[in-house]
Amino acid sequence: MAQVTIEHLGKTFSEGTEAVRDLSLEIGDGELVVLVGPSGCGKTTTLRMVAGLEETTSGTITIGDRVVNHLPPRERDIAMVFQNYALYPHKTVYENLAFPLKLRRLSKPEIDDRVRRSARLLGLEDLLGRKPRQLSGGQRQRVAMGRAIVREPQAFLMDEPLSNLDAKLRTQMRAEIHRLQRELQATTIYVTHDQVEAMTLGDRVALLRKGELQQMATPQELYDKPTNVFVAGFIGSPAMNFVGAELGRRDGHLEVTFGQQSLRLHESEARPGLEAYIGRRCVLGIRPEHLEDAALESGAPADRRFRGKVEVREGLGSEVVVHFQVEAPPTLTEDVRELALDVDAAALADLEREQQLHETVFVGRFGASTKAAEGDAVEVVAEHGALHFFDAESGRRISL
Amino acid sequence: MALGADATRRRLSQTASSWVDRHFRWLLVSPAVVLILALTIFPLGYAIWVAFVTYDFNIPGHAWRGIDNFKEVVTDPNARKAIATTAWLATAAVAIELVIGLLLALAMVRPFRGRRWLIPIFLLPLFMSPVIVGQFWALLLTEPFGPTNWLLGAISGSDVNIRWTTQTPWAYFSILLADAWQWTPFMFVILLAGLSAIPDDLYSAADLDGARPRQAFFFVTLPLLLPVMLVAVAFRVIDAAKIFDVIYVLTKGGPGTDTYTASYYLYEQGFQLFHLGRGTAGAWMFMILLSVVSYWLVRRLLKPVEA
Repeated sequence: MAQVTIEHLGKTFSEGTEAVRDLSLEIGDGELVVLVGPSGCGKTTTLRMVAGLEETTSGTITIGDRVVNHLPPRERDIAMVFQNYALYPHKTVYENLAFPLKLRRLSKPEIDDRVRRSARLLGLEDLLGRKPRQLSGGQRQRVAMGRAIVREPQAFLMDEPLSNLDAKLRTQMRAEIHRLQRELQATTIYVTHDQVEAMTLGDRVALLRKGELQQMATPQELYDKPTNVFVAGFIGSPAMNFVGAELGRRDGHLEVTFGQQSLRLHESEARPGLEAYIGRRCVLGIRPEHLEDAALESGAPADRRFRGKVEVREGLGSEVVVHFQVEAPPTLTEDVRELALDVDAAALADLEREQQLHETVFVGRFGASTKAAEGDAVEVVAEHGALHFFDAESGRRISL
Repeated sequence: MALGADATRRRLSQTASSWVDRHFRWLLVSPAVVLILALTIFPLGYAIWVAFVTYDFNIPGHAWRGIDNFKEVVTDPNARKAIATTAWLATAAVAIELVIGLLLALAMVRPFRGRRWLIPIFLLPLFMSPVIVGQFWALLLTEPFGPTNWLLGAISGSDVNIRWTTQTPWAYFSILLADAWQWTPFMFVILLAGLSAIPDDLYSAADLDGARPRQAFFFVTLPLLLPVMLVAVAFRVIDAAKIFDVIYVLTKGGPGTDTYTASYYLYEQGFQLFHLGRGTAGAWMFMILLSVVSYWLVRRLLKPVEA
């Protein structure tokens, strides 16, 4: 396996769309890097450029110690797993796996040995004689993986390989890919729009937006320290709550005010960088899992509580997801708009309506014993370390 | 009384309407049934009878001949030659159409400027009557007024005097030319549809697997196109075996009997020589032969589709 380096990569399509802009990534030997982002963020285009299926407009791609920009796909020594698997429908599973080896003019016994080894690794031994159309979705997925593995390439490229599977199977195959990747120590670039896949699979995750890299970090860092509103809103489910807020100081402590309500900042949240924002507007972000029904946390201090009105209650058994209205204007930065639009055009319309009403809908993941009912007023506690602050103009995280 | 008559009338109209209700579907299909009976079943039955009797415009009466009509056709060297000519002309025509159609389809499968206009133009010959096609090739080829010889002469710089429709190898060439000109678009459009149905990702996968374009063609395109290709070939072979119009217009079966096909031979027997009994017997045999060949073709050629 080899290291893959992408430097200042750019792609502009002939009709003028700029799909990727100045993208630099380094994928270490044996590392799995996930490219994630909403549709149209350039992740698949990037992958196809690495594969050689799409020409680069600028920048260089290096696999191992070779610059491969001008090499055709067949000379790049990489394997790709396609979203629709792209199995050869007229060939059996065995022939599908053997095809890349046959083209490399390997000897018959060697081909047979490698095909059977890959088949064993993926549990495909009993299916070698079947045609792709006689296989289930999960089996086809495995064959596609097998065809990639059998070649022992420099790197694996995976283009949303799980998106055609149903939810249960997806979870299972995700674990399978994880296991294989660790076992083979395979350098892998994995493209997905599913942030759960990104978080669970990636050694590191690169989040793209409109062809530009937003942040590249470990999943945990991405979750804990999102570099801007876009990253914060994209990672995590349900998504982070955002509200327009103002920083101030009372009794020597920093506090944040949204609408008529205030929260006192905990030591873990009070960064020196925030001093500069006192008296200025900013964006406050709180993840749903860091909110709790105050009735379940009797010991929580009053200055970490705020009130809302319950709109929707979704019981999940282990927890209750509660949507509640808070009297404060929502933030409608470009980032937030795009995040909403990635969900649906209707989601954006909802946001715009909320802004006119000066209401923000928060989502909280409360304990299963919460009594919060639709239409009721609810008091909510923000856990320590829950508050994230972003610049209202640039959307950037206020760090330090 | 008046009341009773009224009730009777009502009952009568009720039975009538319920009869109509119950049999309405038959009323609806009856015109079609009558039409099929008159135009297909009756002529077919009549033709069986004709094949076994003397049915000749020059000979009065319809004496029973048993299988003599059939014997005469089978022993006629012209009939045998016509079958052979039909076989090889149909094979050659379909082969030419397949190759050119495939090349055209390969060239046109990727979008390019003007493709939207080019495809309908390519398909135009398909919509023309074969008689018209034969006629305009006759106008183009036949000396002394056809421009073909003049054009070839101008290109080669010497006099060209090919008798396109009355000289032996050239008459075949003319027929193949006219048939291919008309039917290549058929192959083209079916193969184009077949090619468009092959997902792009398969070519990407083949490319990454290490296949060169030529290998991708032989290992991906051809096997995936094969079922469609076989269907198109089966259709065309069956159709080409019945070729008549172009020959009637271009060569009239000549020179001599060189371009007699089965259809042309039967036409001559029936409507030039007025041996309708013999012609009908031949037509029956040809139909059975063609059915057997078609059945074999369809079974044999379509097998890979099922596998």
